[in-house]
Amino acid sequence: MKLVGKVKVEDCFDGSSVYRYFFEAAWGREDIRGLQALGRLEYYPDFPRPFFRLIGPGGAQLRGVEGEDSCQVVLPRQGREEVIARLERHFL
Amino acid sequence: MRIIYLNNAAGSWPKAPGVVEAVSGALEGMPAEAGRDSASLPDPREDCRRLLAGLLDVPWPERIALGSGATQALNQAILGCARLGVRHAVTTAAEHNSVLRPLRHLEQEGKLRLTIVGLKPDGSIDLDQFARALDGGGELAVVNHASNVTGKVNDAGTLFRMARERGAITLLDASQTLGAVPVRPQEMGAQMVAFTGHKALRGPEGTGGLYVSPDVELPAVLTGGTGVRSDLPLQPGEMPMRLEAGTPNSPGFAGLAAALRWVRENIASENARRRGLGSLLRRGLAAIPGVRVFDGGCPDDPGTGVVSFAIAGWDPDEAALVLDQCFGIRCRAGLHCAPEIHRWIGSAPKGTVRFSVSGSNTEQDIEAALSAVRALAAARPAGREAAA
Repeated sequence: MKLVGKVKVEDCFDGSSVYRYFFEAAWGREDIRGLQALGRLEYYPDFPRPFFRLIGPGGAQLRGVEGEDSCQVVLPRQGREEVIARLERHFL
Repeated sequence: MRIIYLNNAAGSWPKAPGVVEAVSGALEGMPAEAGRDSASLPDPREDCRRLLAGLLDVPWPERIALGSGATQALNQAILGCARLGVRHAVTTAAEHNSVLRPLRHLEQEGKLRLTIVGLKPDGSIDLDQFARALDGGGELAVVNHASNVTGKVNDAGTLFRMARERGAITLLDASQTLGAVPVRPQEMGAQMVAFTGHKALRGPEGTGGLYVSPDVELPAVLTGGTGVRSDLPLQPGEMPMRLEAGTPNSPGFAGLAAALRWVRENIASENARRRGLGSLLRRGLAAIPGVRVFDGGCPDDPGTGVVSFAIAGWDPDEAALVLDQCFGIRCRAGLHCAPEIHRWIGSAPKGTVRFSVSGSNTEQDIEAALSAVRALAAARPAGREAAA
């Protein structure tokens, strides 16, 4: 999965840091499986459109839907730069 | 995937029949605004005022100033009261930021003392605390008619009777109720009522207004062009012109007038339908293991069509994301711009997921939403094996 862009998503909470990451292709099952290199993967295949959640480096979360070309990234309060670098290395 | 829209408390969809055509017609025609050009076409705001006066059951359409929505109206009312000399405002923890923020800005500037009355665990206003706050010198009482989080309808009549007995000015935030629940300011003792056009009235975004009873001479906060009386150096004193500076949103008000005409003819059936669907939703959610419903202590819908809930194991914002993208259920999550109420009803710090229905929803929509919530509440991640 190659990262092609990201936008900050505003939510209700001051100091929270949520981004939408955009990729060059839609998430397939193999791509989702590849996230296991980054942390604990939780996958919900029984929803009408399968959902995945990765609890990744520093407690960052990636949330997305199989078949979509983007996902939501919720960064932890601490060590954000390091977490971003780790995630974005994975998506080179 | 078909999208089921359950976010009517944020903005209604679909709009009332006739609204799209009215807005489109106004935009396609040449602009014609009273006093601002040589044409003498009817002003849609006059239709809106007449129809709103009927809905509010007041004989003074000219006391209804139209504007961009409830936020503008609430700011006008609150800042106007400060200009009138009000120095202590009493409000509640159930309020929206459109009430809390203007009051807090005045407090921060040292222009106002603010008392925020607490709530009971079901979200109802603590009447004893409200009375004590008024006894402490409250000069302005600001209360929402219904919470945009729980959908609970407050007993504004009792609250405002207490306020009026102590000489306070009363302001009702009817953002979630006008069109859905009877709002009769004279019966309720509400001297001012702020409302919006884009929620239960099912009109366009960017429309709303403020009713001001004849016994409150609210000064203008916003001043400028009125199209008429241009020779006066100051804002004209007559209502509604006093509170309507600037070019009006005529296409929006043409749409609002169409919505109000539709509401006038259909209010009973629309509201019965919303209430029925809302009750189905509340009872259905309450029956799902792992779901906590924040219903304001009302197992049946009080008329607003709004209900909040939380699903064990899911952050509200994540649950809303999954409901939308995996199940096609469009809703809202978080604090809903009402940050204080969550501390009292037990939904802090992350807030709730909120469903809100209109009469255009169907029983099938409700069943689909409940089925999706059941799926989330029962879901366990499949983990590595299934992903592989």
